Amino acid sequence: MLRKIFILTLFAALLVGCAPASISTPTTVPVSTVASTIEVPTVAPTPITLTDGLGRQVKLDAPAQRVVSLAPSNTEILFAIGAGGQVVGRDEFSDFPEQAKGLASVGGSMGQYSTESIVALKPDLVLAAEINTPELVKQLEDLGLKVYYLKNPKTIEEMYGNLEIVGQLTGHDVTDLVSSLKARVAAVDEKIATVTEKPAVFYEIDATDASKPYTYGPNTFGDLLITRAGGTNIGGSLKDPYPQISLEQIVTSNPSIIILGDSLYGATPDAVKARAGWASIEAVKNGNIFPFDDNLVSRPGPRLVDGLEQLAKLFHPELFK
Amino acid sequence: MKFRSYLFSLLALVLALTLSLAIGSVFLSPLELWAALTGHGTQTSAAILWSIRLPRTALIALTGMALSGSGAAYQGLFRNPLADPFLIGVASGAGLGAVIAMSVKWPYTFWGLMAIPMSAFVAALLTVLIVYSLARVGKTVPTTNLILAGVAFSSFATSLTSFLMLRSTGEVRRALGWLLGGASQSGWTAILAIAPYLFIGLGILIFSGHAMNLLQFGDDQAQQLGLNVTRAKTILLIASSLATAAAVAFSGIIGFVGLIVPHIMRLWWGADYRRLIPLSIISGATALLISDIIARVVLAPQEIPVGIVTALAGAPFFLWVLRRAKNQGYW
Repeated sequence: MLRKIFILTLFAALLVGCAPASISTPTTVPVSTVASTIEVPTVAPTPITLTDGLGRQVKLDAPAQRVVSLAPSNTEILFAIGAGGQVVGRDEFSDFPEQAKGLASVGGSMGQYSTESIVALKPDLVLAAEINTPELVKQLEDLGLKVYYLKNPKTIEEMYGNLEIVGQLTGHDVTDLVSSLKARVAAVDEKIATVTEKPAVFYEIDATDASKPYTYGPNTFGDLLITRAGGTNIGGSLKDPYPQISLEQIVTSNPSIIILGDSLYGATPDAVKARAGWASIEAVKNGNIFPFDDNLVSRPGPRLVDGLEQLAKLFHPELFK
Repeated sequence: MKFRSYLFSLLALVLALTLSLAIGSVFLSPLELWAALTGHGTQTSAAILWSIRLPRTALIALTGMALSGSGAAYQGLFRNPLADPFLIGVASGAGLGAVIAMSVKWPYTFWGLMAIPMSAFVAALLTVLIVYSLARVGKTVPTTNLILAGVAFSSFATSLTSFLMLRSTGEVRRALGWLLGGASQSGWTAILAIAPYLFIGLGILIFSGHAMNLLQFGDDQAQQLGLNVTRAKTILLIASSLATAAAVAFSGIIGFVGLIVPHIMRLWWGADYRRLIPLSIISGATALLISDIIARVVLAPQEIPVGIVTALAGAPFFLWVLRRAKNQGYW
């Protein structure tokens, strides 16, 4: 008897639980309060329609005024193009520029975002990136939010394209920013063109296991920036994008420069010198071991150009006096 | 005693369900919650309640039911207190299936988004099938063979998963989140997709209490008492694996719930499987809901994978129950 009652309760509970599936949830995005306080333009703004990195058509009636950024690179792009004031939320790891840290965080460690917090911020645009899963995009879309999935650029030039996309989405002209970035890159290119000797470089991402540290392989910005800055990335000949390289391979390649991308996590030149088996490497002998801000290489935003300039200066100090 | 056990478990479940709707990274007061429930709330609170918290609560509750119900069944089936719903490969198979699916860039369509859960589901069932056929000797399926084949094949699949994760570094975060018990998809789609499997799987388990009681005497005795042992074992395996695989496909691999909830039920209410199975199902939902609430609030607005919480909070609780147990030789 009790068993039957239990089963009935179970079924009843689940039927009730499933009922709201048929109730259509509101899909219209509430008109942002910010937009309504801004002076009414004489001409109605033209709708913006763009195809995003997942092949989705994203349509905005007007430039977004309340943006939630789901990746540090997106946050940096938004602030760099002058849309910082329109950002209302960010992911846990967005720490640049300084103002971004003051914004509400919507999570993101281990890929777990708080959809509740995102909805509560009432964004009129959520700017996702390749570190976000398509499932998350779908989830947010189902909640009636506008989501633009910004694809990672493969080159510095593609990164300018991303700046233009975000500029369009938020109503900012990025022409000046892009031309100044282009000028800076051209200046580096010009100097590096005269270089005949390209030093072998080992870029360290993580050396928790110093017998096989992680480094940048091919098709990464680490590899691309090192090459463009006039160096030869010893990880560039490996197969995977973020491979573990064996110490034997490093010793054989004998890099004359070591870049410590893991200096943010406590790696120091002295610690490298003290590592067993590293003493024979030329960079260690000459003391050419440099702490470096890995965010300038790993985040596909405008600060890639800073990364390029700083690497070029480290590789060829004589050209940048 | 019988009545009290159900009453207590159901009350706890109702309490957990209520808390799960009330607590989240965004604070909603009881008044706002009531307004949203009755359709008078603001758009935001309505969206949070109906489109985020309710489907999540339902998915978590169903997952808890599946894991704990099949955990109890596995412990009975294998007569082994260490058995859990993942013993013969559902978790490792699902993990492998999920990671394989993650290595492909799927188009942004309904089926593209379903690729990961579907691949996990199919791989989990395939694993169980392979283990079952490997363990079979003639017409019988010796328990020891099943466990050994399951453990060996699981290790193989797990290593393959790790290897694939290392090769495709870009997806490690995604894969890790999934393997630690993070929902790959939320909303009502997931619930509609797994509900049929759970109903069939758990329904069969609920009505198999008598057979499992007989199995406790050992295969030979159970056979003499009129039970077709091989058939009973096969049906129980299929039912539990079906429920577990469906739950895991959408919720990721959540450890420990399927191990400890049945034990707690057994300690509290006795070892009669006719009661142990339904009670484990009810309380599995309760336990996972409470773990999920903790996962949501402990670092809010960050969330942590619920699989971390189940063991972190569940293990001490289980040890406390175990210490207090008056019935020493309860197993």
